[in-house]
Amino acid sequence: MQSLKRTNRCGSASTAGLIFFFLVFLVQLLPLNAQAIPLFARQTGQNCVACHAGGQFPELTSYGRMFKLTGYTMGSRVEIPLAFMATASGSSVSSKTPGTGDTNADFPQNGLMHFTTASIFAGGKITDNIGLFGQWTYNAYKQQDPDGSWAGHSGSDQFDLRYADRFIDQNQDLIVGASLNNNPGVTDVWNTFNSAFQSVPSYVPASNPGGNGGPFVNVPATPILLQMGPTSTGLNAYVYWNNMIYAEFGAYQTSNRMFSFLSQGIPDSDMPKLKGNLNPYWRLALNHDWGANSAMVGLFGMNAEIYANSPVTSGPTTRYRDVGVDAQYQYILDPHTISAQFSYIRENQNYSDELWDATNPNYTGNFANSSNTLDFLRLKATYVYQAKYGASLGYAAVKGSADTLAYTSSPDSNGSPVPFGNTGSTPNTRIWIPEVFWTPIQNIRVGLQYYKFTQFSGSTTNYDGNGRNASDNNTVFFYVWGAY
Amino acid sequence: MKRAIQLKTYLSILHIGSDRTWWMPMAVTMLSSVALSACSNVERSRDLGNPNVPASVTAVQVCSACHGKDGNSISPNFPRLAGQQSAYLAAQLENFRSHQRADPEGFEYMWGISRKLTDDQIKGLAEYFSKQIPQSNAPVDAQQLAAGKAIFEKGVPAKETPPCIACHGQKAEGLATFPRLANQHQDYLIKQLSVFRDTEGRPGTPMKQVTHLLDQQEMKAVAGYLQAFPQN
Repeated sequence: MQSLKRTNRCGSASTAGLIFFFLVFLVQLLPLNAQAIPLFARQTGQNCVACHAGGQFPELTSYGRMFKLTGYTMGSRVEIPLAFMATASGSSVSSKTPGTGDTNADFPQNGLMHFTTASIFAGGKITDNIGLFGQWTYNAYKQQDPDGSWAGHSGSDQFDLRYADRFIDQNQDLIVGASLNNNPGVTDVWNTFNSAFQSVPSYVPASNPGGNGGPFVNVPATPILLQMGPTSTGLNAYVYWNNMIYAEFGAYQTSNRMFSFLSQGIPDSDMPKLKGNLNPYWRLALNHDWGANSAMVGLFGMNAEIYANSPVTSGPTTRYRDVGVDAQYQYILDPHTISAQFSYIRENQNYSDELWDATNPNYTGNFANSSNTLDFLRLKATYVYQAKYGASLGYAAVKGSADTLAYTSSPDSNGSPVPFGNTGSTPNTRIWIPEVFWTPIQNIRVGLQYYKFTQFSGSTTNYDGNGRNASDNNTVFFYVWGAY
Repeated sequence: MKRAIQLKTYLSILHIGSDRTWWMPMAVTMLSSVALSACSNVERSRDLGNPNVPASVTAVQVCSACHGKDGNSISPNFPRLAGQQSAYLAAQLENFRSHQRADPEGFEYMWGISRKLTDDQIKGLAEYFSKQIPQSNAPVDAQQLAAGKAIFEKGVPAKETPPCIACHGQKAEGLATFPRLANQHQDYLIKQLSVFRDTEGRPGTPMKQVTHLLDQQEMKAVAGYLQAFPQN
């Protein structure tokens, strides 16, 4: 299929900024009624708070989970099945030294407020059993050209086409469904581990420093399950029984051939290439609702084999095995919304001999060890009052086995030290993320986050050997989010 | 034979057979066949804009998500509907549909749900939930129970607040458009009493007059008594 990739020059973001503020202006003109909200809300005629806990997209309520699990088919079809979303954001990092001295290279757009992304959503109810969540996103700061100017780029974002049926009577309630999607975890209905549906703008780690509306400093490593992004094609099947037991199984391959539309616009070089077409994803969860409370404990995981020289689909591979445990608690009783999420992922990475074995004739020197482990912990607690005023505290910690080749400090092309070097040979990083946000009307959210690094690449101080401390990465992040 | 050739052409268009990715398009094709054969599935539909979907189907496929399939909702955000007066339920759905009832939850959740329901569907939904068996609800402390019982049976004479039983019945079972209150969630009742007292969100009932002098403590007590509602 011919690629429909569109790349726009965006040396100055002022035009995009104007568009955003025009959008914000438009949204503000809208009357505050139940119809004046995005696609699914137009389909059900309901307010955001019906499906999103405390109105904070994208965290789902019990009802929101039901809406998604029944295939986005509740309500009635809308005439124009589209919705829009845009974010403007700005970040400011605590210290820029030592670095290349080139602010644009190390901390792009530091301290500036910009229009960052815009999304268009399509889908909703299609038939009594089929519904779609389709997202296409334009990222104004997707890539920086050698001359320092920025190139905007649009491409496929999250995609989830579902078929679902519900067999319910007085004795039992069984939902069965299938999903064609492009990101492992995008199908999940609890907002614990899936990076795409954790928070908008993205909660740590930013999948793309400086882009996607996230802060600049990326954690040195995260499990593959969170890194896939909308680059793969998965076919999943699930059951949800008596609002209590959930089980899902999916098989993933890299989006290509007839499924290349699922990763349309994403450069081949950005796509981790999966070997084979049966990379398994699985998820089990136990859910319980009582009074105004809802709780879930679960297990999930993925096995993925990825070519080391992606996008080249031959040669040595890394075999990832992720196993995670997660939990969520919600208390929703107007005017209060309290929620807490926990997820912990243990990843094992096993490498082909060429990647680590110096005696191998095709030795590449990627890793010092034949295998490594990575542990990733995330915690978050949120309080929202009147679905308007919110505060949250998040914590993320990465811990991995030391590997002198996998985690190294390397100077940039000019020979200057880069601010994210690593002398400890581990990815170990800890971040606290307090946030306050305000949702003046349900289509607009304004938020301020602070990323406080207490450890970075294995050290608190001088982690790069050039005197840069973990706290130098502390970042203030401000965003304005709007949807219509 | 002709069919086999067509299949081969079709597969080659989809690049199938050239490598091991054959299973995915196959699965999608099968999935879409299943899906298209079930475009309209009124026996298990969640469509709120189709007049042919029976009310009993909408009740379990859609309403159950918040109100419970037997009308005994778990979350106090959503009222229990089991055993509710059919006339009351129908009147509320009509009021949501016409936007006459505009309390925040009514407008956030129910305006959308009710906007395309037909009169027959509304009648059917009201019938369905009125026939469900109400279950007991969480107990409240003895002090609240006693204070609530007094208000329920005798009102608050000092404030000229009439007793609930006058309209809602000895067993708080309701009558026609006077709703059943027994076993209703305390939090829901407090919220509705506040809507009556403080807003114009639910016009056309005597409750504005009834509640206008009630304080928070009294509302909490009577709502607690109704939630627990001891049978004897």
